[in-house]
Amino acid sequence: MGLKEYMNDIVEAVVTTAKGMRITARYGVDPKEEVTLQYPEERWEIPEGYRGFLHNDVKKCTACTMCVKVCPVDCISLESVRGADKKMVLASYDINIGRCMYCGLCVEVCPPKSLKHTSGYEMASAARGELILHFIAEDAAEIKARVARQVAEAAAKAAEAAKTAEAAKTADLSAVAAKPPVVEPKAAKEEEKKPE
Amino acid sequence: MEAAALSLMNAVPLLAGVPLWAVTLLLIVAAAAVILVFALTFEGVGSLVLRKVAGDIQARIGPNRVGPNGILQFLADGVKLVLKEDIIPANADRLLFKLAPYFVFVGSFAAFVVVPFGVGLIAADLNIGIYYVMAVTSLVVIGVLLAGWASNNKWALLGGMRAAAQIVSYEIPVGMALIPAVLIAGSLSLQDIVRSQGGLLGIFGWNLFHNPFTFFSFFLYFTAAQAETNQTPFDLPEAESELVSGYNVEYSGIRFGLFFLAEFGDMFIVAALATACFLGGWNVPFFHVGTLPWIWGNLLSLGVFLAKAFTMVLIMMWVRWTLPRLRVDQLMRMSWKYLVPLTFVNLLGVSLWLLVFKGKGIPGMIASLFG
Repeated sequence: MGLKEYMNDIVEAVVTTAKGMRITARYGVDPKEEVTLQYPEERWEIPEGYRGFLHNDVKKCTACTMCVKVCPVDCISLESVRGADKKMVLASYDINIGRCMYCGLCVEVCPPKSLKHTSGYEMASAARGELILHFIAEDAAEIKARVARQVAEAAAKAAEAAKTAEAAKTADLSAVAAKPPVVEPKAAKEEEKKPE
Repeated sequence: MEAAALSLMNAVPLLAGVPLWAVTLLLIVAAAAVILVFALTFEGVGSLVLRKVAGDIQARIGPNRVGPNGILQFLADGVKLVLKEDIIPANADRLLFKLAPYFVFVGSFAAFVVVPFGVGLIAADLNIGIYYVMAVTSLVVIGVLLAGWASNNKWALLGGMRAAAQIVSYEIPVGMALIPAVLIAGSLSLQDIVRSQGGLLGIFGWNLFHNPFTFFSFFLYFTAAQAETNQTPFDLPEAESELVSGYNVEYSGIRFGLFFLAEFGDMFIVAALATACFLGGWNVPFFHVGTLPWIWGNLLSLGVFLAKAFTMVLIMMWVRWTLPRLRVDQLMRMSWKYLVPLTFVNLLGVSLWLLVFKGKGIPGMIASLFG
């Protein structure tokens, strides 16, 4: 190592040290450089489109099961029955938020836009079971029984209505022809199907 | 101390019947207690300031939970250290393991004895002051090596070996960089060195501005001393990322606390020596402190000295959070190939300067030009 290199080394050491110290001094003096967020007291502003916990507006939900099918980790499960008005009625809608990976596919695919990401990100639980979010408070079996009852009542009403209508028809048209009614067998079939 | 005891006995008639040695002993204990309290307070507050400075430099906040703005953090740390379980590893050398922290702490604390805090504020104005500091702080090497060896842990041993190699190598540049101040004052006593920088030249009376060689000498001393106290650019003995925490890995509780305190104590000693030898010590610019009443003169000089020393400590912390750690070979190269030759050249230059210009510095010569 020649003398020139030796002196160059010393000069470089001094210059680079001074440079580094100028940078740290700027950070040390400028209070605006602090980036720490005092979390429990301060919170960051949630950006638009933030994918937090999932929330399903069960009143809007049509129980189409699209979300269940699209979920890559199978964290959504739902049960539904067909109600008296031919629409599906939710019996239970559970999301295992501990398993969810927040990909947002279920929200994107939801036809009535009832499933949404909230801005929530804080949750702690002592047991894994507590991480399953139940969106329908009532027991699934009870809902099923109630819907079955409603369906049965509706079917009975329909049958009665059909009967009276038929009776009226037969009374009206007895003279014309003794035709077998078309509606009755169908209604009976449906009656058998629904309580399942 | 005996002289002080004699004057105290003369001043206070109550002490007339007490033997001289008893009063002297009492005074020694009192002085030691005062210095210990100062050292511990400095070490506590120093640790807090260190963390705050680190926070500021790294764009974070630093401790802010204990007390307003975190100013009581050091008390919490101290209480925690005292209350923690004192663990001694099963296969450690128990005697040496217990002994090591005391060596380190005593080595750092004993150096406080000759720190010239003010005109009359010095525990013992030894006529070999600087030599004593150099000698007594070398005790730290023994303690660190003992700690590394007695822990029976490979990281601790590596840290201890590195510390020994490092402190021994950097002892030379530190000593050589301090000698210019000794040459100018013509005395090893720290009080004499400080007094030699006084006078009516103000800050230009400082050794720092005496001549170009002393100017470089100050920076060489500061760099080498930073290494000797294992501060961060040279903190190889405790290199967290490679040696976990070096020689003190196996220590916990109050024993670890002693190592910790010694580290901050060393920091202050380095700053105090730099202040005393190059920055004019307790000298108030353009003003003779000795002419004031004893109390005010001492208070003023103490304030000036501490302000300078704490500024130096702050700069050490600043360096500490700026530079990345060196490799072992780089560290050794820096000491033996750069600092040692440079300090020798400096020493030669200062000696020649003093010989040629009859002991006068540049500011002194300029002042004499204008009468």
